[in-house]
Amino acid sequence: MGLAYRIEESATLVTYRDALWRTMHDALARDPSVIVMGQGVDDHKGIFGSTTGLATTFGATRVFDVPLAEDGMTGVALGAALGGLYPIQTHIRCDFALLAVNQLVNMVAKYRYMFGGRFRVPMLVRTVIGRSWGQGAQHSQSPQALFAHVPGLVVVLPSAADSITATYDALIGEKQVPVISFEHRLLYDVAFRAPASAPEWPLAPLGSILRRRGRDVTVVATSILVLEALRAAEHLARTAGIEVEVIDLHCASHPDREMILGSVARTGRLIVADTSWCAYGVAAEICRLVCEHDPSALRAPVTTIGMAPAPCPTAKTLEDLFYPSLRRLSDEIAALARGTRQHGIELPAEASMADVYKKFKGPF
Amino acid sequence: MTTFADERERLLYQALRIRRVEEHIARIYPSDCIQSPVHLSLGQEAVAVGACAPLRAGDRVFGTYRSHAFYLACGGSLREMMAELFGKATGCAGGKAGSMHLTAPEVGFMGSSAVVASTIPNAVGAALAAQRLGTGAITLAVFGDGATEEGVYHESLNFAALHRLPVLFLCENNGLAVHSHRASRQSYDLMHHARGFGITAEHCASGFDPMAVRALVEMAAQALRAGAGPRFIECATYRYAEHVGIGDDHDVGYRSPADCAAWRAHDPLILEAARLERFEAAIAAEIADAVTFAAASPWPEPDALLRDVA
Repeated sequence: MGLAYRIEESATLVTYRDALWRTMHDALARDPSVIVMGQGVDDHKGIFGSTTGLATTFGATRVFDVPLAEDGMTGVALGAALGGLYPIQTHIRCDFALLAVNQLVNMVAKYRYMFGGRFRVPMLVRTVIGRSWGQGAQHSQSPQALFAHVPGLVVVLPSAADSITATYDALIGEKQVPVISFEHRLLYDVAFRAPASAPEWPLAPLGSILRRRGRDVTVVATSILVLEALRAAEHLARTAGIEVEVIDLHCASHPDREMILGSVARTGRLIVADTSWCAYGVAAEICRLVCEHDPSALRAPVTTIGMAPAPCPTAKTLEDLFYPSLRRLSDEIAALARGTRQHGIELPAEASMADVYKKFKGPF
Repeated sequence: MTTFADERERLLYQALRIRRVEEHIARIYPSDCIQSPVHLSLGQEAVAVGACAPLRAGDRVFGTYRSHAFYLACGGSLREMMAELFGKATGCAGGKAGSMHLTAPEVGFMGSSAVVASTIPNAVGAALAAQRLGTGAITLAVFGDGATEEGVYHESLNFAALHRLPVLFLCENNGLAVHSHRASRQSYDLMHHARGFGITAEHCASGFDPMAVRALVEMAAQALRAGAGPRFIECATYRYAEHVGIGDDHDVGYRSPADCAAWRAHDPLILEAARLERFEAAIAAEIADAVTFAAASPWPEPDALLRDVA
């Protein structure tokens, strides 16, 4: 498995899950106002291991199970935030957060503005994007664009252990804004190399992250597609000398405009790879940014990559078609870099990404 | 400084003040100086003043789009309310709220929502914070009978009862959701429903009497402060004006003038007008001052448009 960015041999390995558990643990230890609430946060599975044991350590008044009442519990979290707590609310699938759209969109997003800045809403909503093994239409959605569309909400999609640590540590108890995070289920088991020293790329908790430098094509990617873009970049660098610049969008609501426009100005070629549908989504929004600010930078039409425009099917044969593959991503990058679909560059073997991530445990 | 013979007179004065404020709003509304939908509390004032009377500093109230009465009963500034209705920078929310989102956190009035039932779980969350932080404060969730049909109401009762939270669910039951009567909307009895969650429920048939409301809320507040878990109170009341706007819509057929007359026959602000007469001049002067303040206040600066978004 190719590694995209510089490996420090002395680095220790941290899984996405470990980073999540550590940020939850440390927030509870650091700040007595932090509470963790969600269905199953105190059970033996603990939100895929990200909250395991925390109820025992910190007590049931701070880490507690909730009724199956997503909208009500989001309203409770908002009220608790107004009352001086820092709530961390979990949804084991982000599809379930759709039950809380009224509180998130009508209340959480507006509580500060609508009342003339009299209130702050410090809270974190953790949701998990599901994928593979027949998750189907309602356990697989990735609705970051729905929420990023609404002024007042901050939306992040951590793609790696370092962005979880940097973002959650900086946010929890500190930032007085409501944040919705879209974690990716397939990443939980993946290990990342934690740099022994500070990373060379700037890691703004609420911005974008330059994951790889390259001169030929810019790929703006979200969540697990950042890793796929890095794998594709490594493959194309090795086999064809194509150098791909990979921007981890990370904060869908507040993308780093200068980083993206600067990169496109240098490469002239843009691919947006998002975990959701392209229409009206992150892909469309990044295209809007470029079209509004610097369309002349583009030397070729933009390519967008995301889920097929359908609900997610359950049959594996269809599911593998529904999601973009490493092969397809590599092919699109090669075509854009060479200016032709007949680029003749050897592509990675077609493989189910879900299978890859189930076996592949990193390190990245 | 206004002085009162007793607590009842003090509450009647407050109710009268709210009524005169809203009547004045109705009077000036056709001039379009208020550019916001207004949902008047005329007829329901006694519930607000009775319910807020037993509250202490640190307690919190979450309201609805029909919150002029609760905002004022909590002690919110009349000048800032009027300026907010006028859309001025000196309003309680700097001109971003209008009538439907009044707020006065400095006196515990936490906010009001134009989406029915939406602040009920927020009140429960504030009660959770008070419980976990040990502040001893209680929270009042105010809503109408229509809100009890929303799923989030049931979710809120369940969670509050489960965690024995210090929150009082106060239903202002005027029997109407816009123009729909309860009989066409509800299969349940509000009191039985609340009791199904193990919540002690009380009914106040005389929502026109601020002392009756006060007595029930006082009792509930004591229980809440003692950690006895959430309470529910249903107050019967009556909305004199149309759902939104300043008109009287008793002529359009969904309710009868006789219903209104029956309620007005109990209304102490009408029955005891002579006794309350001595407060009228001061109230009128205060309202005139608030309107002058609002009219003279500046509009929000353009940079306020993108301030406090996130």
